[in-house]
Amino acid sequence: MSTGILPSPVTAGLTLPPGPGRAVTGLAVRQIRRGGLVVAVLITGMTALVTATYAQVMADPAAAGSLQALAGNPAIRTLFGSPIGLDTAGGFTVWRVGTFTAVLLGAWAILATTRITRGEEDTGRWDVLLAGRVPLRDAVLRHVTAVMIVPVGTGCLLAGVLIAAGTPASGAVVHGAGTGLLGVVFVAVAALAAQVFPARSPATGTAVAVLGVTLLLRMIGDGVPALGWVRWLSPLGLTALSGPFVHNRGLPLVILAVAAAVITLAALAAAGRREIRGGLVAPATGRRPRLGLLGGVAAFAVRRVLRPLTGWAIGIGAYYLLIGLTAVSVTGFLADNPAMAGQAAAAGFDGLGAVVGFAAVLFAILAMPVGGFTAVRMGAFVAAETDRRLTLLTAQPISRARLLGAEIAVTMGAGTVLTTIAGIATWSGVTTVGGDLGLVAALSGVWNTLPLVGLSLGAAVFATGWAPRWVSVIGAVPTTGGFLLLVVAESVAAPDGIRELSPFAHLAAVPLTGVDWPATAAMTGLAVILTVAGIAGYRRRDLRS
Amino acid sequence: MSAPALRAVDLTKRYGRLTALDRLTLDVRPGEVFGFLGPNGAGKSTTIRLLLGLARATAGRAEVYGVDAGDVARAHRSLAYVPADVALWPQLTGAEILHLQARTGPGTDLVYRDELVERFGLDLSKPARTYSTGNRQKVALVAAFATRAPLLVLDEPTSGLDPLMEREFRAAVGQARQRGQTVFLSSHQLAEVEAVCDRVGILRAGRLVEVATIGRLRGLHRSEVTVSYSGTAPLLSTVAGVESVETTGDGQLRFTVTGPPAPALRALADAGITALSVREPSLEEIFLEYYGTQAGR
Repeated sequence: MSTGILPSPVTAGLTLPPGPGRAVTGLAVRQIRRGGLVVAVLITGMTALVTATYAQVMADPAAAGSLQALAGNPAIRTLFGSPIGLDTAGGFTVWRVGTFTAVLLGAWAILATTRITRGEEDTGRWDVLLAGRVPLRDAVLRHVTAVMIVPVGTGCLLAGVLIAAGTPASGAVVHGAGTGLLGVVFVAVAALAAQVFPARSPATGTAVAVLGVTLLLRMIGDGVPALGWVRWLSPLGLTALSGPFVHNRGLPLVILAVAAAVITLAALAAAGRREIRGGLVAPATGRRPRLGLLGGVAAFAVRRVLRPLTGWAIGIGAYYLLIGLTAVSVTGFLADNPAMAGQAAAAGFDGLGAVVGFAAVLFAILAMPVGGFTAVRMGAFVAAETDRRLTLLTAQPISRARLLGAEIAVTMGAGTVLTTIAGIATWSGVTTVGGDLGLVAALSGVWNTLPLVGLSLGAAVFATGWAPRWVSVIGAVPTTGGFLLLVVAESVAAPDGIRELSPFAHLAAVPLTGVDWPATAAMTGLAVILTVAGIAGYRRRDLRS
Repeated sequence: MSAPALRAVDLTKRYGRLTALDRLTLDVRPGEVFGFLGPNGAGKSTTIRLLLGLARATAGRAEVYGVDAGDVARAHRSLAYVPADVALWPQLTGAEILHLQARTGPGTDLVYRDELVERFGLDLSKPARTYSTGNRQKVALVAAFATRAPLLVLDEPTSGLDPLMEREFRAAVGQARQRGQTVFLSSHQLAEVEAVCDRVGILRAGRLVEVATIGRLRGLHRSEVTVSYSGTAPLLSTVAGVESVETTGDGQLRFTVTGPPAPALRALADAGITALSVREPSLEEIFLEYYGTQAGR
């Protein structure tokens, strides 16, 4: 058969529109621009606020004194890193908000990257995209580049606002570059995970686990002087090692840049070796049915939560075990240092109370990941509704209140399990190294955060009923938003009224002090009101499918 | 008399300014197979979402066997549903999904379910993420047909099925009818509706324009008549209901009749008719007649 005489393909008379790749980049940018803008503004705004008010705060002896005491608090040192440049506006800002902004940027980078790459592929929308002229590797590269614009832009903005606030340019550039590169590294990590795993949730989970482990490494390196070198293995440790405004080292930043490049290349190589909708890890194609926990909506809600709960439990358990294991050495190291012991005593950490006080502060922080967990779970429930997985269940003789109620009960139960695991992990860590923290004290400390976790869940349920598009954001307001507000309010010596808007301002340092029952009752009551209102909204609205 | 399987009274749904469904009033009788037709965007899926209580009506009401559609815990005890675009939990296998549906549903005949799995050729060991569109649809169909719910609501249930499976689907609808189950079938497959439905409702731009048996629908529409005659050509142009008269050959005429054919037959009586054939319109032709010339509104 000869094909030589066939007319040329029908495209002969058509001109192909130029630059299909640019259209793909445009698509990627559209999907991340709103979230990216929010993150950039939040990070630079917080940084600018803390820097700009530094002189004013330090001029007030009372405010300066309480910040010194805070810096001497071992728990705060574990959370925020070593306070090495508190005598300058730039150094203080980096210490106070640097870790928080870095983790925020890293977490956003991971979620955005897996959402617009593997998430879009999971839904089948990339089938249409990739049927066009752009191959998979190019599509991945263009999406990854689009997300990377956000940390790079944030880093530039960060350096810009610090310079504008009058801090030395060298430190500002080191901090901006460090934060930006850190974000880029986690975009690359998430992109690689999205090529390796054939579904969005394991890819996100793996990348978040990497973020958690690197955060732990930095904390170990900061908290245990003998293990300071492990910070070289962690992107967050490397940004700390760059020492903006104090050391201004370039080598850690070069390592970060090289790491980002290597991981990105690995992700592209992996993208070139796999099929669309497949991963390097192949999913199982068939298995025997596992019929456990499929007997009803509540049982099914338990079944769906088990896997994510296991992941979160490992992360939170490891974190608090580490805190327990290092509690004695960190508090002991400070007690042996006369200069710092004074500060520690001023903060209420002296003698035997040291470990208990250390644990109490870190237990309060627990409300953030556990509250975040409940918001993420309610977000997953709404996602199941939006992509119609829930439709078959909503057509069963099950009232909406029961469907949502089962989800709420199971999520709160899972949150309680997480806090309990954190308490047991801390207790076993402290006990292993011969510290003094009773199991009952540890559990009362972690359970003290449950009303705040409930408040987060209540906000998420309220959003499920009235603003389902915003579940994860609204659910994060009481805990992540509250913590942010507290940190900023304390750093800029804001009026008490503003500080007290944060639920964290009302969380007693259990087990160092007793439970603040009126505050506990108020938070629980508010959580119940939000939950009831959310269920009422969910019962009367249209389902999104 | 018992309550209708489905009842809509002035059922209205507005999304902002858009009226997706405008005062729909409809009864589906127990035991009938009811076809629900309409072009894309006519409001079929909106109607079904309202009947299932998945969306709330702006005005009017919907009932399932006399129970308010919004009271899903009671109303759904007497129905099973197959959505238009079936999405399943990707990590569950087909067997696990069927188990979950049976345990949360209105009562399932497990023996019949196994038979249906066999007939639809469904591999239940695979996780749902590996299922094709057709296989996802089969899972939902098996789960629905296996229930003993008196009403089956099927929203374009065969759009992803191959012709063999389409045949199994028709057989399953037939068996459901024999058991006395009511079937509410929204579909674009007009041949399928014609084959299985007792009555059809036709929706256009959010309004119900017709509810009738298929036979009656045909009567309401143009039949094509071809006659051969030996006498003088019959004068048909003035006869009520007759249109498009054309001569197709020597002593042969073709025309269409709408409504009762008696006047046309009277006009033909004196022409010495030697042969006569009447072709009733297919549902597709009726459908196109409703929408083809009036696309949009």
